Amino acid sequence: MISISNVSKQYKGSARPALNNVSLEVEKGDFVFLVGASGSGKSSLMRLMLREDVPTKGSVHVLGENLVGIPSRRVPFFRRRLGVVFQDFRLLPNKTVAQNVAFSLEVIGKSQGFIQEAVPEVLRLVGLEGKADRLPNELSGGEQQRVALARAIVNKPALLLADEPTGNLDPATSQDIMSLIERINLAGTTVIMATHDRGIVDRLKKRVVELRDGEIIRDQIGGSY
Amino acid sequence: MKFVFSEVAQSFRRNLSMVVSVILVTFISLTFVGTASLLQMQIGEMKNYWYDRAQVAVYMCSDVSASDVCPQGEASEDLKAAVKEKLESNTLSQYIDKFYFEDHEQAYETFQEQFKGNAVAKYVTAQQLNETYWVKLKDATQSQIITESLTGVPGVEEVRDQRSYLDQIFSILNAASLAAIGVAILMLFSAALLISTTIRLSAFSRRRELGIMRLVGSSNFYIQLPFILEGVVAASVGSILAGGAVLAIVQFFVQGYLAERLPFTSFVGLADGLLVVPLLLLAGILLAALASGLAIRRYLRI
Repeated sequence: MISISNVSKQYKGSARPALNNVSLEVEKGDFVFLVGASGSGKSSLMRLMLREDVPTKGSVHVLGENLVGIPSRRVPFFRRRLGVVFQDFRLLPNKTVAQNVAFSLEVIGKSQGFIQEAVPEVLRLVGLEGKADRLPNELSGGEQQRVALARAIVNKPALLLADEPTGNLDPATSQDIMSLIERINLAGTTVIMATHDRGIVDRLKKRVVELRDGEIIRDQIGGSY
Repeated sequence: MKFVFSEVAQSFRRNLSMVVSVILVTFISLTFVGTASLLQMQIGEMKNYWYDRAQVAVYMCSDVSASDVCPQGEASEDLKAAVKEKLESNTLSQYIDKFYFEDHEQAYETFQEQFKGNAVAKYVTAQQLNETYWVKLKDATQSQIITESLTGVPGVEEVRDQRSYLDQIFSILNAASLAAIGVAILMLFSAALLISTTIRLSAFSRRRELGIMRLVGSSNFYIQLPFILEGVVAASVGSILAGGAVLAIVQFFVQGYLAERLPFTSFVGLADGLLVVPLLLLAGILLAALASGLAIRRYLRI
Protein backbone atom coordinates (compact mmCIF):
# COMPACT_ATOMS: atom_id res chain seq x y z
CA MET A 1 0.00 0.00 0.00
CA ILE A 2 2.68 2.46 1.12
CA SER A 3 6.38 1.80 0.98
CA ILE A 4 8.78 4.56 1.91
CA SER A 5 12.44 3.67 2.03
CA ASN A 6 15.49 5.68 3.07
CA VAL A 7 13.78 8.95 2.32
CA SER A 8 15.48 12.26 3.04
CA LYS A 9 14.03 15.64 2.31
CA GLN A 10 16.11 18.77 2.40
CA TYR A 11 14.34 22.08 1.76
CA LYS A 12 16.32 24.80 0.07
CA GLY A 13 17.77 27.32 2.48
CA SER A 14 17.49 25.18 5.60
CA ALA A 15 20.52 23.58 7.19
CA ARG A 16 18.79 20.57 8.79
CA PRO A 17 16.91 18.06 6.62
CA ALA A 18 13.14 17.94 7.23
CA LEU A 19 13.29 14.16 6.88
CA ASN A 20 16.41 12.10 7.46
CA ASN A 21 16.62 8.53 6.14
CA VAL A 22 13.00 7.63 6.92
CA SER A 23 11.60 4.20 6.06
CA LEU A 24 7.98 3.14 6.57
CA GLU A 25 5.76 0.32 5.36
CA VAL A 26 1.97 0.46 5.64
CA GLU A 27 -0.29 -2.46 4.73
CA LYS A 28 -3.75 -2.33 3.23
CA GLY A 29 -6.40 -1.57 5.86
CA ASP A 30 -3.91 -0.26 8.42
CA PHE A 31 -4.61 2.70 10.67
CA VAL A 32 -1.46 4.64 11.46
CA PHE A 33 -1.02 7.67 13.70
CA LEU A 34 1.89 9.96 12.87
CA VAL A 35 2.85 11.81 16.03
CA GLY A 36 5.60 14.22 16.99
CA ALA A 37 6.20 17.84 17.83
CA SER A 38 5.72 20.64 15.31
CA GLY A 39 8.60 20.58 12.85
CA SER A 40 9.32 16.91 13.44
CA GLY A 41 8.57 16.09 9.79
CA LYS A 42 4.97 14.81 9.92
CA SER A 43 3.72 17.26 7.34
CA SER A 44 6.74 16.74 5.10
CA LEU A 45 6.02 13.02 5.12
CA MET A 46 2.34 13.63 4.29
CA ARG A 47 3.33 15.91 1.43
CA LEU A 48 5.56 13.20 -0.02
CA MET A 49 2.71 10.67 0.11
CA LEU A 50 0.45 13.16 -1.67
CA ARG A 51 3.13 13.85 -4.25
CA GLU A 52 3.04 17.53 -3.37
CA ASP A 53 6.81 17.16 -3.03
CA VAL A 54 9.47 14.73 -4.14
CA PRO A 55 12.18 13.51 -1.76
CA THR A 56 15.77 14.63 -2.09
CA LYS A 57 16.84 11.00 -1.62
CA GLY A 58 15.09 7.64 -1.35
CA SER A 59 11.93 6.19 -2.86
CA VAL A 60 8.22 6.62 -2.18
CA HIS A 61 5.65 4.11 -3.42
CA VAL A 62 1.97 4.76 -2.72
CA LEU A 63 -0.93 2.69 -4.13
CA GLY A 64 1.50 1.00 -6.49
CA GLU A 65 2.80 4.25 -7.95
CA ASN A 66 6.45 5.22 -7.77
CA LEU A 67 5.98 8.83 -6.69
CA VAL A 68 9.57 9.82 -7.45
CA GLY A 69 9.46 8.87 -11.11
CA ILE A 70 5.77 9.47 -11.89
CA PRO A 71 5.28 11.90 -14.79
CA SER A 72 3.43 15.01 -13.68
CA ARG A 73 0.50 14.39 -16.04
CA ARG A 74 -0.21 11.14 -14.17
CA VAL A 75 -0.21 12.83 -10.75
CA PRO A 76 -3.88 13.91 -10.93
CA PHE A 77 -4.95 10.34 -11.67
CA PHE A 78 -2.93 9.12 -8.71
CA ARG A 79 -4.59 11.68 -6.44
CA ARG A 80 -8.06 10.52 -7.48
CA ARG A 81 -7.32 7.24 -5.73
CA LEU A 82 -6.78 8.77 -2.31
CA GLY A 83 -8.66 11.15 -0.04
CA VAL A 84 -7.24 14.00 2.02
CA VAL A 85 -8.54 16.06 4.94
CA PHE A 86 -6.88 18.94 6.72
CA GLN A 87 -7.10 20.81 9.98
CA ASP A 88 -8.61 23.85 8.19
CA PHE A 89 -11.31 21.84 6.29
CA ARG A 90 -10.65 23.69 2.99
CA LEU A 91 -14.28 24.04 1.96
CA LEU A 92 -15.49 26.53 -0.63
CA PRO A 93 -17.40 29.20 1.30
CA ASN A 94 -19.73 30.15 -1.54
CA LYS A 95 -20.91 26.60 -2.22
CA THR A 96 -23.39 24.56 -0.21
CA VAL A 97 -22.46 21.29 1.49
CA ALA A 98 -23.76 19.24 -1.41
CA GLN A 99 -22.09 21.53 -3.96
CA ASN A 100 -18.77 21.28 -2.14
CA VAL A 101 -18.86 17.50 -2.40
CA ALA A 102 -20.19 17.59 -5.95
CA PHE A 103 -17.44 20.03 -6.98
CA SER A 104 -14.73 17.47 -6.30
CA LEU A 105 -16.52 15.02 -8.60
CA GLU A 106 -17.32 17.56 -11.32
CA VAL A 107 -13.70 18.59 -11.66
CA ILE A 108 -12.57 15.04 -12.30
CA GLY A 109 -15.18 14.70 -15.00
CA LYS A 110 -17.77 12.47 -13.29
CA SER A 111 -21.20 12.37 -14.90
CA GLN A 112 -24.14 14.28 -13.43
CA GLY A 113 -25.94 10.98 -12.91
CA PHE A 114 -23.10 9.60 -10.82
CA ILE A 115 -22.87 12.84 -8.82
CA GLN A 116 -26.58 12.92 -8.06
CA GLU A 117 -26.37 9.43 -6.68
CA ALA A 118 -23.03 9.60 -4.86
CA VAL A 119 -23.41 12.92 -3.05
CA PRO A 120 -26.55 12.19 -0.95
CA GLU A 121 -25.19 8.74 -0.19
CA VAL A 122 -21.89 10.01 1.19
CA LEU A 123 -23.62 12.81 3.12
CA ARG A 124 -25.81 10.18 4.79
CA LEU A 125 -22.67 8.21 5.60
CA VAL A 126 -21.08 11.15 7.43
CA GLY A 127 -24.37 12.09 9.14
CA LEU A 128 -25.19 15.29 7.25
CA GLU A 129 -28.27 14.17 5.34
CA GLY A 130 -30.39 17.10 6.53
CA LYS A 131 -27.78 19.78 5.85
CA ALA A 132 -27.05 19.38 2.16
CA ASP A 133 -28.17 22.91 1.32
CA ARG A 134 -26.35 24.74 4.11
CA LEU A 135 -23.33 26.93 3.48
CA PRO A 136 -20.11 26.08 5.34
CA ASN A 137 -20.31 29.16 7.59
CA GLU A 138 -23.72 27.98 8.82
CA LEU A 139 -22.15 24.77 10.14
CA SER A 140 -20.19 23.96 13.28
CA GLY A 141 -16.52 23.03 13.02
CA GLY A 142 -17.30 19.35 13.44
CA GLU A 143 -19.91 19.48 10.71
CA GLN A 144 -17.50 21.27 8.39
CA GLN A 145 -14.94 18.54 8.94
CA ARG A 146 -17.63 15.97 8.14
CA VAL A 147 -18.18 17.73 4.82
CA ALA A 148 -14.44 17.59 4.18
CA LEU A 149 -14.45 13.88 5.03
CA ALA A 150 -17.43 13.31 2.76
CA ARG A 151 -15.51 15.02 -0.04
CA ALA A 152 -12.43 12.91 0.67
CA ILE A 153 -14.25 9.57 0.57
CA VAL A 154 -16.95 10.19 -2.03
CA ASN A 155 -14.70 8.68 -4.67
CA LYS A 156 -14.15 5.56 -2.51
CA PRO A 157 -10.40 5.96 -2.09
CA ALA A 158 -8.13 3.13 -0.96
CA LEU A 159 -6.17 5.53 1.24
CA LEU A 160 -7.20 8.43 3.46
CA LEU A 161 -4.56 10.95 4.51
CA ALA A 162 -5.66 13.11 7.44
CA ASP A 163 -3.43 15.99 8.53
CA GLU A 164 -4.53 16.91 12.08
CA PRO A 165 -8.23 16.57 11.26
CA THR A 166 -9.24 17.30 14.87
CA GLY A 167 -6.80 20.16 15.40
CA ASN A 168 -9.53 22.80 15.32
CA LEU A 169 -12.20 20.85 17.19
CA ASP A 170 -13.22 20.48 20.80
CA PRO A 171 -12.72 17.04 22.46
CA ALA A 172 -16.33 15.88 22.13
CA THR A 173 -16.52 16.83 18.46
CA SER A 174 -13.10 15.30 17.89
CA GLN A 175 -14.45 12.03 19.22
CA ASP A 176 -17.34 12.09 16.71
CA ILE A 177 -14.92 12.73 13.85
CA MET A 178 -12.62 9.95 15.08
CA SER A 179 -15.43 7.41 15.21
CA LEU A 180 -16.32 8.41 11.65
CA ILE A 181 -12.70 7.93 10.55
CA GLU A 182 -12.62 4.58 12.31
CA ARG A 183 -15.75 3.52 10.43
CA ILE A 184 -14.12 4.53 7.19
CA ASN A 185 -11.08 2.46 8.16
CA LEU A 186 -13.25 -0.55 9.04
CA ALA A 187 -14.83 -0.35 5.60
CA GLY A 188 -11.35 -1.13 4.21
CA THR A 189 -9.75 2.24 3.66
CA THR A 190 -6.17 2.59 4.86
CA VAL A 191 -5.85 5.65 7.14
CA ILE A 192 -2.73 7.70 7.87
CA MET A 193 -3.42 10.43 10.38
CA ALA A 194 -1.00 13.03 11.66
CA THR A 195 -2.09 14.35 15.06
CA HIS A 196 -1.10 16.15 18.24
CA ASP A 197 -4.09 14.83 20.15
CA ARG A 198 -2.74 12.60 22.95
CA GLY A 199 -6.22 11.52 24.08
CA ILE A 200 -7.26 10.18 20.72
CA VAL A 201 -4.04 8.23 20.15
CA ASP A 202 -4.14 6.69 23.62
CA ARG A 203 -7.78 5.67 23.34
CA LEU A 204 -7.70 4.10 19.87
CA LYS A 205 -4.66 1.88 20.46
CA LYS A 206 -3.57 1.83 16.83
CA ARG A 207 -0.15 1.71 15.24
CA VAL A 208 1.86 4.80 16.25
CA VAL A 209 4.81 6.19 14.31
CA GLU A 210 6.66 8.91 16.17
CA LEU A 211 8.91 11.39 14.42
CA ARG A 212 11.51 13.63 15.98
CA ASP A 213 13.82 15.98 14.05
CA GLY A 214 13.01 14.24 10.81
CA GLU A 215 13.69 10.69 12.00
CA ILE A 216 11.37 7.87 13.03
CA ILE A 217 12.16 7.14 16.67
CA ARG A 218 9.27 4.76 17.38
CA ASP A 219 7.00 2.49 15.35
CA GLN A 220 4.70 0.63 17.72
CA ILE A 221 1.58 -1.46 17.11
CA GLY A 222 -1.19 -0.67 19.62
CA GLY A 223 0.87 2.18 21.02
CA SER A 224 0.04 5.35 22.86
CA TYR A 225 1.24 8.93 22.38
CA MET B 1 -18.04 20.76 -19.79
CA LYS B 2 -20.96 22.47 -18.08
CA PHE B 3 -18.62 23.05 -15.18
CA VAL B 4 -15.98 24.66 -17.40
CA PHE B 5 -18.44 27.11 -18.94
CA SER B 6 -20.00 28.12 -15.65
CA GLU B 7 -16.48 28.78 -14.32
CA VAL B 8 -15.73 31.04 -17.30
CA ALA B 9 -19.01 32.94 -16.89
CA GLN B 10 -18.43 33.39 -13.19
CA SER B 11 -14.90 34.63 -13.73
CA PHE B 12 -16.11 37.15 -16.31
CA ARG B 13 -18.50 38.62 -13.78
CA ARG B 14 -15.75 38.81 -11.19
CA ASN B 15 -13.09 40.41 -13.42
CA LEU B 16 -15.34 42.49 -15.63
CA SER B 17 -13.06 45.52 -15.91
CA MET B 18 -10.03 43.43 -16.83
CA VAL B 19 -12.04 41.50 -19.39
CA VAL B 20 -13.25 44.75 -20.93
CA SER B 21 -9.69 46.04 -21.16
CA VAL B 22 -8.54 42.82 -22.83
CA ILE B 23 -11.38 43.17 -25.33
CA LEU B 24 -10.47 46.79 -26.06
CA VAL B 25 -6.74 46.22 -26.44
CA THR B 26 -7.17 43.25 -28.78
CA PHE B 27 -9.83 45.21 -30.66
CA ILE B 28 -7.58 48.21 -31.26
CA SER B 29 -4.40 46.29 -31.97
CA LEU B 30 -6.09 43.93 -34.41
CA THR B 31 -7.79 46.86 -36.13
CA PHE B 32 -4.30 48.24 -36.69
CA VAL B 33 -3.13 44.90 -38.06
CA GLY B 34 -6.16 44.69 -40.33
CA THR B 35 -5.79 48.24 -41.61
CA ALA B 36 -2.08 47.76 -42.23
CA SER B 37 -2.68 44.61 -44.24
CA LEU B 38 -5.43 46.34 -46.23
CA LEU B 39 -2.98 49.17 -46.93
CA GLN B 40 -0.51 46.60 -48.23
CA MET B 41 -3.22 45.15 -50.46
CA GLN B 42 -4.06 48.66 -51.64
CA ILE B 43 -0.43 49.33 -52.52
CA GLY B 44 -0.35 46.09 -54.49
CA GLU B 45 -3.53 47.02 -56.30
CA MET B 46 -2.30 50.51 -57.13
CA LYS B 47 1.03 49.16 -58.34
CA ASN B 48 -0.78 46.85 -60.72
CA TYR B 49 -2.99 49.66 -61.95
CA TRP B 50 -0.38 52.35 -62.37
CA TYR B 51 2.55 50.25 -63.50
CA ASP B 52 0.30 49.06 -66.30
CA ARG B 53 -0.25 52.63 -67.40
CA ALA B 54 3.29 53.86 -66.75
CA GLN B 55 5.17 54.96 -69.86
CA VAL B 56 8.76 55.79 -70.68
CA ALA B 57 9.25 59.41 -71.69
CA VAL B 58 12.01 60.21 -74.20
CA TYR B 59 12.44 63.97 -73.76
CA MET B 60 13.92 65.66 -76.79
CA CYS B 61 16.22 68.65 -76.47
CA SER B 62 14.59 72.08 -76.40
CA ASP B 63 15.90 75.64 -76.48
CA VAL B 64 16.22 75.76 -72.73
CA SER B 65 17.96 72.39 -72.26
CA ALA B 66 21.35 72.38 -70.55
CA SER B 67 24.10 72.72 -73.15
CA ASP B 68 26.20 69.82 -71.92
CA VAL B 69 23.51 67.24 -72.85
CA CYS B 70 22.12 69.20 -75.77
CA PRO B 71 25.03 71.06 -77.39
CA GLN B 72 23.05 71.50 -80.60
CA GLY B 73 20.07 73.20 -78.85
CA GLU B 74 16.55 72.37 -80.07
CA ALA B 75 16.45 68.88 -81.58
CA SER B 76 16.24 69.11 -85.35
CA GLU B 77 13.73 67.19 -87.49
CA ASP B 78 16.55 64.87 -88.52
CA LEU B 79 17.44 64.00 -84.94
CA LYS B 80 13.78 63.38 -84.09
CA ALA B 81 13.43 61.17 -87.10
CA ALA B 82 16.55 59.25 -86.06
CA VAL B 83 15.06 58.56 -82.62
CA LYS B 84 11.77 57.51 -84.22
CA GLU B 85 13.71 55.16 -86.50
CA LYS B 86 15.46 53.62 -83.49
CA LEU B 87 12.14 53.05 -81.73
CA GLU B 88 10.77 51.37 -84.87
CA SER B 89 13.87 49.27 -85.40
CA ASN B 90 13.67 45.53 -84.80
CA THR B 91 15.83 45.64 -81.69
CA LEU B 92 13.51 47.96 -79.79
CA SER B 93 10.11 47.45 -81.38
CA GLN B 94 9.84 43.90 -80.03
CA TYR B 95 9.61 45.39 -76.51
CA ILE B 96 7.34 48.28 -77.39
CA ASP B 97 3.60 48.06 -77.32
CA LYS B 98 3.14 51.49 -78.95
CA PHE B 99 4.61 54.95 -78.88
CA TYR B 100 3.53 58.42 -79.97
CA PHE B 101 5.11 61.81 -80.40
CA GLU B 102 4.06 64.86 -78.43
CA ASP B 103 5.15 68.17 -79.97
CA HIS B 104 5.53 71.56 -78.28
CA GLU B 105 1.91 72.57 -78.82
CA GLN B 106 0.49 69.32 -77.43
CA ALA B 107 2.86 69.46 -74.48
CA TYR B 108 1.74 73.03 -73.83
CA GLU B 109 -1.93 72.03 -73.88
CA THR B 110 -1.33 69.15 -71.49
CA PHE B 111 0.66 71.41 -69.24
CA GLN B 112 -2.05 74.10 -69.18
CA GLU B 113 -4.58 71.38 -68.41
CA GLN B 114 -2.56 69.93 -65.54
CA PHE B 115 -1.54 73.21 -63.96
CA LYS B 116 -4.82 75.05 -64.46
CA GLY B 117 -5.05 77.94 -61.99
CA ASN B 118 -1.39 77.63 -61.05
CA ALA B 119 0.74 80.76 -61.54
CA VAL B 120 3.38 78.81 -63.44
CA ALA B 121 0.91 78.17 -66.28
CA LYS B 122 1.02 81.86 -67.21
CA TYR B 123 4.78 82.10 -67.60
CA VAL B 124 5.58 78.90 -69.42
CA THR B 125 5.77 78.98 -73.20
CA ALA B 126 5.35 76.13 -75.65
CA GLN B 127 9.01 76.35 -76.64
CA GLN B 128 10.21 75.72 -73.11
CA LEU B 129 8.44 72.39 -72.90
CA ASN B 130 10.16 69.31 -74.26
CA GLU B 131 8.92 67.49 -77.26
CA THR B 132 8.54 63.92 -76.15
CA TYR B 133 8.24 60.38 -77.45
CA TRP B 134 5.90 58.56 -75.07
CA VAL B 135 6.71 54.88 -75.15
CA LYS B 136 4.37 52.23 -73.80
CA LEU B 137 6.24 48.99 -73.20
CA LYS B 138 4.84 45.49 -73.46
CA ASP B 139 6.42 44.76 -70.10
CA ALA B 140 6.77 47.83 -67.91
CA THR B 141 9.73 46.38 -66.02
CA GLN B 142 11.94 46.45 -69.13
CA SER B 143 12.33 50.21 -69.32
CA GLN B 144 16.06 49.74 -68.88
CA ILE B 145 16.37 48.69 -72.53
CA ILE B 146 14.92 51.97 -73.82
CA THR B 147 16.89 54.01 -71.32
CA GLU B 148 20.15 52.39 -72.28
CA SER B 149 19.73 52.56 -76.02
CA LEU B 150 18.44 56.15 -76.18
CA THR B 151 20.36 57.94 -73.44
CA GLY B 152 23.18 59.98 -74.97
CA VAL B 153 21.73 59.80 -78.48
CA PRO B 154 22.05 63.24 -80.09
CA GLY B 155 18.91 65.34 -79.57
CA VAL B 156 17.69 63.30 -76.57
CA GLU B 157 17.78 65.25 -73.33
CA GLU B 158 16.64 62.53 -70.96
CA VAL B 159 14.91 59.18 -70.89
CA ARG B 160 12.69 58.80 -67.88
CA ASP B 161 10.60 55.88 -66.68
CA GLN B 162 7.41 57.19 -65.05
CA ARG B 163 7.59 54.33 -62.60
CA SER B 164 10.41 56.14 -60.83
CA TYR B 165 7.87 58.79 -59.72
CA LEU B 166 5.38 56.10 -58.69
CA ASP B 167 8.00 54.27 -56.68
CA GLN B 168 8.42 57.30 -54.44
CA ILE B 169 4.69 57.40 -53.70
CA PHE B 170 4.59 53.67 -53.09
CA SER B 171 7.56 53.78 -50.77
CA ILE B 172 5.80 56.45 -48.68
CA LEU B 173 2.64 54.33 -48.52
CA ASN B 174 4.75 51.30 -47.72
CA ALA B 175 6.49 53.11 -44.87
CA ALA B 176 3.08 54.14 -43.52
CA SER B 177 1.81 50.58 -43.54
CA LEU B 178 5.03 49.32 -41.96
CA ALA B 179 4.65 51.93 -39.21
CA ALA B 180 1.08 50.74 -38.66
CA ILE B 181 2.30 47.15 -38.41
CA GLY B 182 4.98 48.25 -35.94
CA VAL B 183 2.39 49.93 -33.74
CA ALA B 184 0.18 46.86 -34.08
CA ILE B 185 2.96 44.52 -32.96
CA LEU B 186 3.64 46.70 -29.95
CA MET B 187 -0.04 46.69 -29.08
CA LEU B 188 -0.39 42.96 -29.62
CA PHE B 189 2.50 42.48 -27.24
CA SER B 190 0.78 44.60 -24.61
CA ALA B 191 -2.44 42.70 -25.28
CA ALA B 192 -0.60 39.45 -24.58
CA LEU B 193 0.80 40.85 -21.34
CA LEU B 194 -2.61 42.14 -20.33
CA ILE B 195 -4.21 38.77 -21.02
CA SER B 196 -1.62 36.96 -18.94
CA THR B 197 -2.04 39.41 -16.07
CA THR B 198 -5.80 39.01 -16.21
CA ILE B 199 -5.50 35.25 -16.17
CA ARG B 200 -3.14 35.32 -13.23
CA LEU B 201 -5.49 37.62 -11.39
CA SER B 202 -8.43 35.36 -11.96
CA ALA B 203 -6.34 32.34 -10.96
CA PHE B 204 -5.50 34.15 -7.76
CA SER B 205 -9.13 34.91 -7.01
CA ARG B 206 -9.91 31.23 -7.57
CA ARG B 207 -6.98 29.86 -5.62
CA ARG B 208 -9.17 27.97 -3.13
CA GLU B 209 -10.97 26.15 -5.92
CA LEU B 210 -7.67 25.49 -7.68
CA GLY B 211 -6.16 24.07 -4.49
CA ILE B 212 -9.07 21.68 -4.08
CA MET B 213 -9.05 20.73 -7.74
CA ARG B 214 -5.40 19.75 -7.51
CA LEU B 215 -6.04 17.87 -4.28
CA VAL B 216 -8.87 15.74 -5.61
CA GLY B 217 -6.96 14.97 -8.79
CA SER B 218 -8.45 17.23 -11.41
CA SER B 219 -6.40 16.88 -14.57
CA ASN B 220 -4.31 19.78 -15.82
CA PHE B 221 -6.60 20.03 -18.83
CA TYR B 222 -9.62 20.56 -16.59
CA ILE B 223 -7.79 23.04 -14.40
CA GLN B 224 -6.38 25.11 -17.23
CA LEU B 225 -9.22 25.02 -19.72
CA PRO B 226 -11.46 27.63 -18.01
CA PHE B 227 -8.58 30.09 -17.88
CA ILE B 228 -7.54 29.57 -21.47
CA LEU B 229 -11.18 29.83 -22.57
CA GLU B 230 -11.52 33.02 -20.56
CA GLY B 231 -8.65 34.63 -22.47
CA VAL B 232 -9.80 33.22 -25.78
CA VAL B 233 -13.41 34.36 -25.38
CA ALA B 234 -12.35 37.89 -24.41
CA ALA B 235 -9.87 38.11 -27.28
CA SER B 236 -12.42 36.67 -29.72
CA VAL B 237 -14.85 39.42 -28.84
CA GLY B 238 -12.05 41.93 -29.47
CA SER B 239 -11.17 40.24 -32.78
CA ILE B 240 -14.77 40.23 -33.94
CA LEU B 241 -15.01 43.94 -33.15
CA ALA B 242 -11.74 44.53 -35.02
CA GLY B 243 -13.06 42.57 -38.00
CA GLY B 244 -16.22 44.67 -37.95
CA ALA B 245 -14.14 47.86 -37.77
CA VAL B 246 -11.99 46.81 -40.72
CA LEU B 247 -15.07 46.00 -42.80
CA ALA B 248 -16.62 49.31 -41.80
CA ILE B 249 -13.45 51.16 -42.84
CA VAL B 250 -13.50 49.45 -46.23
CA GLN B 251 -17.21 49.98 -46.78
CA PHE B 252 -17.67 53.52 -45.51
CA PHE B 253 -14.26 55.19 -45.78
CA VAL B 254 -12.56 53.50 -48.73
CA GLN B 255 -15.54 52.64 -50.92
CA GLY B 256 -17.88 55.33 -49.66
CA TYR B 257 -15.48 58.26 -49.43
CA LEU B 258 -12.15 57.68 -51.19
CA ALA B 259 -13.52 55.82 -54.19
CA GLU B 260 -16.04 58.55 -54.90
CA ARG B 261 -13.47 61.29 -54.77
CA LEU B 262 -10.74 59.49 -56.68
CA PRO B 263 -12.69 57.73 -59.41
CA PHE B 264 -9.67 56.67 -61.49
CA THR B 265 -8.03 54.63 -58.78
CA SER B 266 -8.95 51.09 -57.98
CA PHE B 267 -9.43 50.54 -54.26
CA VAL B 268 -9.61 47.52 -51.98
CA GLY B 269 -13.18 46.26 -51.62
CA LEU B 270 -15.25 44.26 -49.20
CA ALA B 271 -13.92 41.05 -50.74
CA ASP B 272 -10.41 42.01 -49.62
CA GLY B 273 -11.76 42.99 -46.20
CA LEU B 274 -13.49 39.62 -45.84
CA LEU B 275 -10.17 37.99 -46.61
CA VAL B 276 -8.52 39.85 -43.74
CA VAL B 277 -11.22 39.26 -41.09
CA PRO B 278 -10.69 35.50 -40.60
CA LEU B 279 -6.97 36.14 -40.28
CA LEU B 280 -7.64 38.68 -37.53
CA LEU B 281 -9.90 36.23 -35.71
CA LEU B 282 -7.29 33.52 -35.97
CA ALA B 283 -4.53 35.87 -34.79
CA GLY B 284 -6.60 37.05 -31.81
CA ILE B 285 -7.57 33.55 -30.71
CA LEU B 286 -4.06 32.20 -31.13
CA LEU B 287 -2.54 35.11 -29.24
CA ALA B 288 -4.98 34.72 -26.36
CA ALA B 289 -4.61 30.95 -26.15
CA LEU B 290 -0.83 31.24 -26.06
CA ALA B 291 -0.73 34.11 -23.57
CA SER B 292 -3.25 32.62 -21.15
CA GLY B 293 -1.89 29.10 -21.55
CA LEU B 294 1.62 30.24 -20.67
CA ALA B 295 0.38 32.40 -17.80
CA ILE B 296 -1.66 29.64 -16.19
CA ARG B 297 1.04 27.05 -16.73
CA ARG B 298 3.51 29.17 -14.81
CA TYR B 299 0.98 29.79 -12.07
CA LEU B 300 -0.09 26.19 -11.64
CA ARG B 301 3.12 24.23 -11.77
CA ILE B 302 2.48 20.96 -9.92
